[in-house]
Amino acid sequence: MAGISATVAHVERIFALVLGIVVFFVAAIALKNDWNSKGLENHVFKLMLALLALGAFLAILASVNVLAGKGVEI
Amino acid sequence: MAVAAVHSGGIADHIHPEPEGFLRKYVFSLDHKIIGIQYIVTAGIFMILAGALAELIRVQLMKANGGFMTPDTYNAVFTMHGSTMVWFVIIPLLTGGFGNLVMPVQIGARDVAFPWLNMIAYWIFPVAGLMLYSSFLMGAPVAGWTEYPPMSLQGGAGTSMWCAAVFLVGVGSTMTGMNFLVTILKMRAPGMTFTRMPLFVWGQFVTAPLLMIATTALGAALAALFIQREFGVPFFDPAKGGSALLWQHMFWFYSHPAVYIMILPAFGMISEVFPTFARKPIFGYKMIAFSSCAIAILGFMVWAHHMFTSGMAPTLQLPFMVLTMLIAIPTGVKIFSWTATLFGGILEFSTAMLYSVGFLLLFTIGGVTGVFLAAVPFDLHAHGTYFIVAHFHYVIAGGSVMGALAALYYWYPKMTGRLMNEKMGKWSFWLYMIGMNGTFLPMHWLGLWGMPRRYAVYDPQFQTWNQIESWFSFVMTASILLTIFNALWSIKYGKPSGPNPWKARTLEWQIPSPMPYYNFKHIPSVFSAPYDFAEPLPYRGLEEELTDSPPPVPVGAH
Amino acid sequence: MAVASVTHAGLVGRPYEEPDQLYLETRELRVQGFLLFMVSDLVLFSSFIFAYLYLRNTGQGWPPPGAPKLDLALAAINSVILFGSGATMHFALENWKHRHFMKFANWIVLTIVLGALFLSGQLIEYAKLAVGWGSSGIFGAGFFTLTGMHGFHVFCGIIYLTVLLLQTLQGKYTFTKYTGLTLGTLYWHFVDVIWVVLFSIFYLY
Repeated sequence: MAGISATVAHVERIFALVLGIVVFFVAAIALKNDWNSKGLENHVFKLMLALLALGAFLAILASVNVLAGKGVEI
Repeated sequence: MAVAAVHSGGIADHIHPEPEGFLRKYVFSLDHKIIGIQYIVTAGIFMILAGALAELIRVQLMKANGGFMTPDTYNAVFTMHGSTMVWFVIIPLLTGGFGNLVMPVQIGARDVAFPWLNMIAYWIFPVAGLMLYSSFLMGAPVAGWTEYPPMSLQGGAGTSMWCAAVFLVGVGSTMTGMNFLVTILKMRAPGMTFTRMPLFVWGQFVTAPLLMIATTALGAALAALFIQREFGVPFFDPAKGGSALLWQHMFWFYSHPAVYIMILPAFGMISEVFPTFARKPIFGYKMIAFSSCAIAILGFMVWAHHMFTSGMAPTLQLPFMVLTMLIAIPTGVKIFSWTATLFGGILEFSTAMLYSVGFLLLFTIGGVTGVFLAAVPFDLHAHGTYFIVAHFHYVIAGGSVMGALAALYYWYPKMTGRLMNEKMGKWSFWLYMIGMNGTFLPMHWLGLWGMPRRYAVYDPQFQTWNQIESWFSFVMTASILLTIFNALWSIKYGKPSGPNPWKARTLEWQIPSPMPYYNFKHIPSVFSAPYDFAEPLPYRGLEEELTDSPPPVPVGAH
Repeated sequence: MAVASVTHAGLVGRPYEEPDQLYLETRELRVQGFLLFMVSDLVLFSSFIFAYLYLRNTGQGWPPPGAPKLDLALAAINSVILFGSGATMHFALENWKHRHFMKFANWIVLTIVLGALFLSGQLIEYAKLAVGWGSSGIFGAGFFTLTGMHGFHVFCGIIYLTVLLLQTLQGKYTFTKYTGLTLGTLYWHFVDVIWVVLFSIFYLY
């Protein structure tokens, strides 16, 4: 049983790493494409895309245990 | 037609036909003016309730050793008095009431940005009030309007009901703040830049973000308290890892901006009354406007001055003390500006002006005691005593309430087309001055002598002054009752006012009284701030407002 | 024919509606109002985040005694699923702006599915933790309150996006007047951004 749950966690990590990289680049490219748009709501969208990219980056770091808090099981 | 078309097909031309039927016209009205009157009337009813609770307190305190209430009942009475006054009288009256009534007209708009939201926000208010008072029937809240844990974790279900009721009224407040902010940002008449707005609008404009941001923070605190009481989640229970001090931080982070919500609209009201009855431009328009912004921002940084004795980290005391004292500066700028407005003016002491001058005096006293309390060593002595009660009653009863009363006498013609009775008005003013000062002035020295607040019984050495205060409180009550009677009597018997009885210069006085449902036949354009009495009115396009020409045709109505 | 109606959703054959002055002015009001609503929602989350950080740093320390450990791997993939749904929603709106109705529909459906997957992941995590909200001390006070609030916002977002999709099928929006879609996308991104913060303060701190 212990072996199986470790494998599930492994699979989760691999998916998180790969998808995280994909989402990071998608968000970054979308941000670059929209960089010069004007208007309040477009600025808000750009901010949110940037934070999305940040989130994906943090998920990448989490998936390889570079960043892990107290109280989480590694 | 001499009027230039300023807008073409936009919101300014988007007029709905007049609503029909009693329900749509007066009950579920979308018209900001009717909603404003609804708020004023409802807040007036809550003021009677809260005032009655106050008189129960004063009657109890006439005897040092046991009046007629048990301590538990007394605790419930002052808790409900404070909760009602803050959340169900002052805030709705000054923002939802007069803000709704006057602000959209003063910016040359036809209504607020979101009329449906406005109506929903109003109806939340009486429902929440009913919820609050139902808590009397289920074990009333007893820990003061501040409801500190652990006391607020005990007792009957009434405290949970209090949480829900105040949360709900806060939702309405947040909606109003958001509505006003978008309205003022986006719906001003052409030519009305920020520095051409009336100061009452500035007051609503700086209060709106406080309503939105601070009230939501209160909602979080109330939700946490409710969750702890009902589901056992230990936010505030030290035995399970929580912190009673957390409540105080969360609560006061809202409640300090709340007191600015209570006073900034009143500052705006005073700033309208003074130029009109001194026939002089307001002194320091920009200083008053920008100091309001400063007060609103600084108001978020000073909350822990309510917590100097709470056991929080002593290193926090100094920064909060300094920031609190800083707020005195923009406030003082305003006091000087208003005083300078009066100086050299042709003063007409109508009732509105009397209340405004009274505001100037009494709010200054309250503000000064506030600076005393900002000093940590003084507050360590005065916290929890009647000195605090004196301070906040001077700024609220001497500040906010007097501003609201001035606003009532000033804008009553715009609501009803009639003037309130001046003789009754003057009587009410002097009764109020005598009553209010007699009630709250002695609390300063009672507090310094050591009389603690929120106690149903007290040391007999304080009894004489307490009896004096109670007698004066009856005078104050008489004043309020007289004002309410005046407001009701004048609906039928008041002298017809005409559009501009005070010869004032802001936009609401350039349209008929009472104000028509469409506000303006043609949205004017504005080319200066309204206070320069030497110049002609700074508007273009108002020629038809007071004529018999037909109301504007609904365009694009659905 | 069903496919034709889904593809065109009443958009073909409609006279081109230039956004008029009234629409543009009303749109500005609605967008500003919605942004302010999001600001107040942010304040709500910030208050509880403050409470969690305060309790964590002034009490018994973290993790509190008896608290379960959080599963970082599950949270990592769950987070990426949610962030991915933000990206897909961005593509949905982009396709609408470029007048590709079918692509819009595909991307928004994918967004909804990913959002539902995220919620399922959260429920799985809650089940694995196997402690109660009120019986886990400040762990429950911080973790369940905040992630619960967030999950509720995701749930409302899923309903919101579904309603928007149905409205597009009824032809409520045109390729020039689609404020509701913009606001829905803003809301979904907002929910995403809140999760960035929550993920950081619970799993990475």
